[in-house]
Amino acid sequence: MTLSYVLLQNLRRNPLRTALTAVAFALPMAVFVLALSLVVGFVRTSAALEQELRLGVHHRVSLTNFLPDGHRRKIEELDPQRTRLRAVCGMRWFGGRVPGTQQTLQSLAADVDTLPIVYSDIGLTEAEIAEWQRERRAAIAAGGVARQYGWQVGDRVVLESTIPPYRQLEFRLIRIWDESPFPMTFYFRRDYLLDAFERDGQIGTGCSIFWVKCVDAAALRSLQKEIDALFANTPDETRSEDENAFVAGFVQAVGDLPSLAQAMATVVVIIVALVAGNTMMMSFRERIRELAVFKALGFSALRVFLIVLSESVLLALLGSALGILPVVAGLTLIPPDRLRWGAFSPPELSWLAVLGSLSIGLAVGIAAGFWPAWQAWQLRTTDALRRVA
Amino acid sequence: MSAADIELVDLHKHYRKGRIDIPALDGLSLTIDAGSFVAIMGPSGSGKSTLLHLIGGLDSADSGLIRVGEHRLDRMSERELTAWRSRHVGFIFQMYHLVPVLTAAQNVELPLLLFRMPARERRRRVATALEVVGLADRMDHRPNQLSGGQEQRVAIARAIVTDPDVILADEPTGDLDARTSQEILQLLSLLNAEFGKTIVMVTHDPRAAAFGQRVLHLDKGVLDRDELNPARPAAAAHAH
Repeated sequence: MTLSYVLLQNLRRNPLRTALTAVAFALPMAVFVLALSLVVGFVRTSAALEQELRLGVHHRVSLTNFLPDGHRRKIEELDPQRTRLRAVCGMRWFGGRVPGTQQTLQSLAADVDTLPIVYSDIGLTEAEIAEWQRERRAAIAAGGVARQYGWQVGDRVVLESTIPPYRQLEFRLIRIWDESPFPMTFYFRRDYLLDAFERDGQIGTGCSIFWVKCVDAAALRSLQKEIDALFANTPDETRSEDENAFVAGFVQAVGDLPSLAQAMATVVVIIVALVAGNTMMMSFRERIRELAVFKALGFSALRVFLIVLSESVLLALLGSALGILPVVAGLTLIPPDRLRWGAFSPPELSWLAVLGSLSIGLAVGIAAGFWPAWQAWQLRTTDALRRVA
Repeated sequence: MSAADIELVDLHKHYRKGRIDIPALDGLSLTIDAGSFVAIMGPSGSGKSTLLHLIGGLDSADSGLIRVGEHRLDRMSERELTAWRSRHVGFIFQMYHLVPVLTAAQNVELPLLLFRMPARERRRRVATALEVVGLADRMDHRPNQLSGGQEQRVAIARAIVTDPDVILADEPTGDLDARTSQEILQLLSLLNAEFGKTIVMVTHDPRAAAFGQRVLHLDKGVLDRDELNPARPAAAAHAH
């Protein structure tokens, strides 16, 4: 038998209380690691997007307000020599879902001529570009959505709009974009969408957003100001953002995750410290005479102090591990596409968060156990034994 | 097998409760010979437990000399007293105070964790101690699986497993029925007779005190009477 064994056995003293305290550690720690992993996923995506030098130009009022098609030409005329601007691609939100399912895809109808340039990161080959330009129903699906529905290149795919008149469009997949940072996106040609609108006697002109591919970061910043200035005081004023900021806008709409995670960490520490501290004090009070006997047997005050403190730390670390392990397993074993939530990038396991939460567990364990341990150190054996007697 | 004599000279110990000064021992002096079995009796507040705690190095006197064997406890620091206790004293308490989540053998092994000792030697000592108290077949039982008398036997095994010079027992039969009390007292007598341990036992019960070779009666912190028990072989004991 060792003292470590005694410590472990002590946790069995009141199994229900130990379990509840462990869960009190486990749940916040799990949420903490998950939240930070979401932030890491988002930051990773943002870093990738920053490399693409795309400027998103949308209606100043909201994304649901369309901009006139003519905006594209006006934007292109800002740099006729193409020294700062490579191409402009208009896109219109379609949404839509696979008939018989409920999940809305991020499907966008894009300008046929400029999509391969503005989204060069798709990596379309010459043959695929030719097919994109030749085939009016051509579509490109991100890896996540393709895997979810079991689509292959060459498949015939039907999407149905989510608003009346619930228009159904048929596509043919020419490319699956596995590396897409947004695994549920689906691109198809805007002229094909316009045809469908015309068939229904509707007007399908107007874009949700224009993506402007820039030459470099300086060009992106200058064009951002010039474009918004160009359309200032017109009925269709614009708001231009780099792609990173544009995506962040979606995320911020849900909440400021980094600040949220920070606030959560603080709340976690305080609540768990209070819960664990209360548990350790209760445990200490119940065992005053036992600890007095330990001292009578020859255990030094320091040793008794360390026994009580170690119990608290052990409980904190066990509870933390209980919460962290399923999250680590989940984020490691489950494909990222399945972990995707709304507009967020899929979470990416943050080992720093794991280490951080274990450190928090350790710190909380020490903080919660320190006072009872100090009381045990100070415990006068004779007083405790006399009280018992 | 070892034993130690005890010498106490002009011991004073006062407690303070707010502004009130409570004398527990008021100039007590006595000697207890090595290998003797001494019972201490007296009314509540007479200083019995205080005396036991001072002999066991659990508390320090305000003034006076405390010697156990070769060791002057009154000159030791808190840390030295703790180390001394682990090697030279075995305590037995009224309420046994076993650790409920450990087995009988593990409870007995507890004081040995303070020694640098191979696990095999620890197990051997634990087995011997439990055999002495007649619980060799209850090694793996937890306290809640034992009767009160058996729990006290485990506590006695825990007290003797380190082969201490002195065994201090504070009302060891206070929580037991008459028959079990007799068994426990006979066991203490056996430890005294067979292993020559010096035993100092505090008790309220005259039947328990009758097991001592000598009975010390305390009152208001001083020695009121010092009686030799004619029914037991007389131990050399002297009050100053």
